[in-house]
Formats: sequence, structure tokens, C-alpha cells
Amino acid sequence: MEGGNGEELAVGCVLSLRTTLGDEIEGQIIAYDRPSNILVIQEGSSKAGPRRNIRLLKANYIQDFTYLRKAEDPIDPNKCYIDLAGLQAREEASLRQAEIEAERIGVGVTSEAQSIFDALSKTLPVHWDKTVIVVMNEVRVSSPYLPENVIGGTPAANDRVKKVLDFERKRLQVRGPG
Amino acid sequence: MQRMNLQQGRPFANGYSSRRVDTVVGTRTESKTQVRKSASPNFVSTNGTRVGRPTSPSRDRLIYVLTCLVGHHVEVHVKNGSIISGIFHATNADGDFEIVLKMAQVIKDGSVRERKSDHDSIKKPQPMVIPARELVQVLAKDVSLSDEFTPGQSCEKRKDLMIDSVISHSHHLETERELAPWMPGEDDPECPELENIFDGTFDRKWDQFETNEALFGVKSTFNEELYTTKLERGPQMRDLEKIALKIAREIEGEETQDLHLAEERGFSYHDDFNLDEESRYSAVRREVNGSGLRENENSDMEAYGSGIIAGSLGLATSGSCSDSLSKKNGNEAQASCNETQASSTSSSVVEEACLYTLADKGLGLSSVDVSSELKSDCIARSSSLEDEIRLDDNQIKDQGGKSERMAIQDSQTSDDVNTSIKSEEVSISAPLYDPSSSGQGNIITESSDSPVRGKLPAASESVDPPIRQGSSTSSSEYAHAESNRPFLSPSTSCGSLSSEKSTLNPNAKEFKLNPNAKSFTPSSSVRLHAAIPDGSFYQASNVNAVQHMHGLPMGVGVGPSFSHQPVFYNPQAAQIQSPQAYINPNGPVYGQQMIVGQHPQFYYVQSYPPQEMPHKGRKF
Repeated sequence: MEGGNGEELAVGCVLSLRTTLGDEIEGQIIAYDRPSNILVIQEGSSKAGPRRNIRLLKANYIQDFTYLRKAEDPIDPNKCYIDLAGLQAREEASLRQAEIEAERIGVGVTSEAQSIFDALSKTLPVHWDKTVIVVMNEVRVSSPYLPENVIGGTPAANDRVKKVLDFERKRLQVRGPG
Repeated sequence: MQRMNLQQGRPFANGYSSRRVDTVVGTRTESKTQVRKSASPNFVSTNGTRVGRPTSPSRDRLIYVLTCLVGHHVEVHVKNGSIISGIFHATNADGDFEIVLKMAQVIKDGSVRERKSDHDSIKKPQPMVIPARELVQVLAKDVSLSDEFTPGQSCEKRKDLMIDSVISHSHHLETERELAPWMPGEDDPECPELENIFDGTFDRKWDQFETNEALFGVKSTFNEELYTTKLERGPQMRDLEKIALKIAREIEGEETQDLHLAEERGFSYHDDFNLDEESRYSAVRREVNGSGLRENENSDMEAYGSGIIAGSLGLATSGSCSDSLSKKNGNEAQASCNETQASSTSSSVVEEACLYTLADKGLGLSSVDVSSELKSDCIARSSSLEDEIRLDDNQIKDQGGKSERMAIQDSQTSDDVNTSIKSEEVSISAPLYDPSSSGQGNIITESSDSPVRGKLPAASESVDPPIRQGSSTSSSEYAHAESNRPFLSPSTSCGSLSSEKSTLNPNAKEFKLNPNAKSFTPSSSVRLHAAIPDGSFYQASNVNAVQHMHGLPMGVGVGPSFSHQPVFYNPQAAQIQSPQAYINPNGPVYGQQMIVGQHPQFYYVQSYPPQEMPHKGRKF
């Protein structure tokens, strides 16, 4: 973007723009940093709540934009505080959560296998062991995750897993691929 | 390159290095101020150590926004069209703002045009750095820019372990979420029987009451106003609402000492930040002020009861009495009571008596100090005071005398051991003090205890004075008779025992001993007074030197404090096991049996209603 249009890129302006990647955005400018050429936009309606959708966009990817109107500064500069401790805590929590979720994803498994894993995990405790689904720590289901691949565990557990697996496969078939 | 790594708590804006854990630093304002003052190059970015790069308000804003994104889940679009998703960790605020993500993954690979259907290429999430030249945009949803400092937000941390107050967000009432109608997801279990519900529209015309009446002739007598206050909707509605909201806000904004309330309201507990989860959420609160510790009453009572088992029925030391009374003060009282019990063996009987009495009363001096002091006093005086205590017990019935007793007790608090019976009485009677009248340790100072005495006899019900201490139950009975404490903890056996008026079943048939009953085989002639039935309830074992036997009917089956001479007692004790041996203590039985003093076979079962002894004589 050229250096001009100073007024139009002022804080608080509401723009509608289009990026070179094809995204269409409408939002209010929070900040624009010239040296780094980053535009910070707040999207969505200006809700009263503290939550907003923020987009940081490198201005050089703006294909074109339309100046819609001028509005108030979305942030009140006198009231901006940062709670570092809270941020740190939040980050830790997010990381923890992400790790938990990552555990659920098998590495190097097909998406079908992953779907089966997800379906099983709804009602049974499951975890991955490389590409083997381990249910209740005793029953193992290996590729290609058919009822005959269910091995181990007590007969009761084994049967149960077979049944659930069967049911889930049928369901997945009914739903159709993707 | 200097990285703006916020996790390290480095000197933040403007080289201010003081950072306390829960301090909120106004970075923006400080930055802005600095900018206006001078263009000192030292100022700068948030890592505080960088020299040279001039800043501008716009840059500050950018940095601020980026800071707020730390820990947030973001999507980064890069030049080749890929999208990387991860948790925002840091950025290079001094340089060109390259982005560092943790637990990042490429969601959409721009370099490969088709989307692979299988996930062979899925890799484990890992930290990623996106260079500035690749960066196209960063998307973040639901970011809280902290324009307004809401204390409650600091509480919203963990998503994996959420506590109620976080979930309910009671202090966030005004914030509304964008609501979307629920649609059954792809993976939700299908419930065909429910599907119709979503198809039909809500039929507002159907009145269930009408239908019911038409079909079955059932008339509905429901009137909503019976259960709730009718809201007068009118022109004043708005104002009233506003006032109500204002009051609500005031209340919720009040500072409170209570840990849980403080957390709900979003205040960080001012005292001690080292509280761990246990002390914050699950430990028993032990507070000295008498506020609202009633919930401990029940537990206290049971504790007392069990503690009592060990002791004999002696005269409870006044200390213990007061201790038990002050159960309102919570566990401290209880603990001290238990200690008292443990320590004083000979006087345990009294102890128990008092304890029961006290328990029933739900009395307690609000100040633990009082009780503890009393306790020490009492213990010193234990055994010799039995007689006096006995008398006191009898007199305890009077509720009205409470205040006086209280006063007396109060006066005792700081006294030493020397005191006379008076103190004894006081201590015992003190428990009877009506808690409702006692404030937080306010003890009405009354003049002397003579009024106390005077009142006591008046209060006596059916119990004859001769009934002695053994009847801690009796005392409690009396006490109960007088008192209609609504707050008496019902769970205490003492309470049940003593409340001959309140909890007894008025329609219960009086138990009459049938001497011809089969299983009853007394060693000697059947004597009514061998209300050793109590013994069946109680552990007859733990008798200490106390000579008085006293069966305290504890509805909960707590070991009765029996004190009796084994020689006498045991043989009969065995027989008592039979239900028929259960003698309703009501009535004439007592008159004879109540022998004050050394009589080993004194059993007090005065107003022990049949139903109070669940395991005997009553088939549930």
C-alpha cells in the first residue's frame, strides 16, 4: 500500500477491503503500523462485549479497499492494561489443552482410522499406540480396524469393542465419506 | 533479534522492571506518556532493553494487541496460501514481527493444491516460527483486549479444570454471547424418537390444564403468586429495576472476607496468595467469629457423641461444656471439647452430660476464647465439682437464664481456677445460653447467678431434681423442654433426646416392660430401673472411675457413657440386649432409680422416647 491515504487508515475507520488471497474483510481499524506495514483490524459488529475478532494484515496484501465511515477508536488508550500473569496462565492452559487434544490424534494414521478413534473415544477410554488403537488399556485394534482386528482383553471387553467398532463403522458408512 | 517474550516478565514498557504477579501494568498509558515526554530512544519496546528504535503510538497499539494475543489460539496465513494454526507465543516486536507459535500445525497446505483425504501428512504439533516476509495475516477470534479491567478475568484460566464460579460467570451477567440454535451435530447419537420435536413448531395454543380438565375433570388450583411475589409492572418498573440492579451490584461488589464469595465476585483474596486448591475449595473453614457456622453443628454433634463414648459420664467439666456449646465456633470448640474429654477421665461423665446438653442447645459462646478459657478452668476443677455440676444440670433447663449464665460465664472467662461452684454452674449453664441472644461473643453481663438458679427450678419439667447428672440427657431434656430453638441441630442425638417436646413423637406409645417376655432373663428380679436397655445401646465397657452410671440415650447410637461398677453391671448388661429389656424410661421408673451418688445401677433414661432408640424396641 502506498504511503498516502493517511486519513483513511486512521484509527477508528471502518473499511471494507479485499486481499490478494481473495479474502473479503470488513472491519474497524485498531492500529496501523507503517514501518512494519501491519494493519490491525477489528472485525464483526462493534459489540459491547470485550471479545472481538482481530485480524492482523500485512498491508501489502490489500488489493483494494473501500472507506466506509469513520467511527470511534475501538480501544480506549487510557484503559489499556495488560495482565502478564494472566496471559502466562492462559498460555499455559491453552498449551495444556492443546496437548490433551493432540494426544487424541494418531500420527501417521489414515483419516478413517482417526474417525474410528474419535467415535470410539466417545464412549470408551482409548488412546493411540503408534497406529494401534488401545481401548481400556487392554483391547487393541490395529489396522485396518475391522472387527477381526480386535485383539486382546477379556472376552467381555473384546466383544464390547467389536460391537462398538461395528456400529461405528456402519454409522460412518451411512454418513458417507467426508 | 530481541524477542518480545512476555513470559519472562522482563522489564516491561519503558524499562519499568517491577512486575508483580498479579499487577496489571498499564503499558499503553505509560508508553504514551513517554512518547509525549521525549523521544528517548531508550524507551521503546516491551522487552525494555532495546535501544534505538523510535516508537509511535501506532506501534504501541500494535504491540499492545499482540500482547493481548499471547496464549490465544490463532491462525496464521502465509504467502503460499498455507494456514498454520497454533497458540500465539511471542513476536519480534523490535524487528519485523515474525510470529512464534506453539503447538502449531499446518492446517491447510497451500503448496499442495489438492487437499489430501488421508492424514498421512499430519505431524505432531510443534513450535513454529513464521518469518515476517511470509506473513500475510493473523486471525484471532474472541480476543479480549482488556479495555476494561475486569478483575474476574484473571480467574478465567483453565479450560480443563473449571470451577463453578468460572463456569457460571456470575459477575459477567451483562455480557451476552452470540447464541446459535443447536443443531444435532454429525456425530451425535441419533435418537429417532426425538427427531419430531425439532420438526414441529411450538404450539402456543395448547393449554395443558385445559386439556387435563376436559379429559379427566381435574381442576388446577395452581396460582403462581403463591410461590412468588408478583411483579407489579408499571411505569415504575424501570426505576425499580434500576434500583434493584444497583443494589445487586453493590452487594456483589462488596469486599468480603469470605474466600468463596470473594472469588465469585472476582476479588482476589487479599490475605494470602499461597493458598492452594485445598484450602481454597475444600478445606474446612475454621473461623473465630460465630457467623454462620451452623453447618458445623451436625458434624460437631456427632463428633461429640463419639468422643463421649470414651468418657464416662461424669460431670462434664464446665470447660468441655462450654466447648461443646461453642461448637458454633466451629471446629475449635469441638477440638477442645474432644481434648477435654480425652484429658479428663474422671470427670468425663460430667463432660458428656454437658456435651449433650450443649449439643442440644446448639449453644455456644461465640467466642472461642471464652470457651477455651473456661475449659481450662473447668478441667482444673473437674471431679470435685460433680455435685455442683449435677445441680447445675438440673437447673439448666431454664432457657431464660441463659443470658445470665452467659454473663456468668463471661465473667469467668478471665478468672482463675479459684472460683466456686458458681463458676461451675456458670460454665455448665453457659452452654444453655440461647445462641440467638448471644452475639458475637457478646455476653450479657448479669448480676449474679442467683437469678439463674431461681429460674432453673422453674423450668424443670417432669424431671425431678434428684435426677442427677447422669442424666446429661435429662439436663438436655430440660433444656430442650424450655427451648424451642429452631436451630438446634436435629442430627445430634442429644438434641433428639433432650427435645422431649420438639422432636418426640407425641403419638408414640409408651413402652411398658413386659416382664414375661421371653428373651429377658435378668439375673435378679426384674427391676424396672434396670433400664439397662440403655446398656444395649451403649458400650458398657468404657467405664472409668466415675461411679455414676448414666445411660445417655443417644439416638445415634453413640456409645453411652456408662459408668458403673463392672461387678454390678455386667451381668445385667448382657441381658439388656433383648429388646424387651428396653424399658421406657418415662414415668415412674426414674423416681426410684435416680440415685444421685455412688449407686452403680443408676440409669437415667428419663425422657428417652422409644423411638429415640432405633435399634431397640422399634422395628423400623
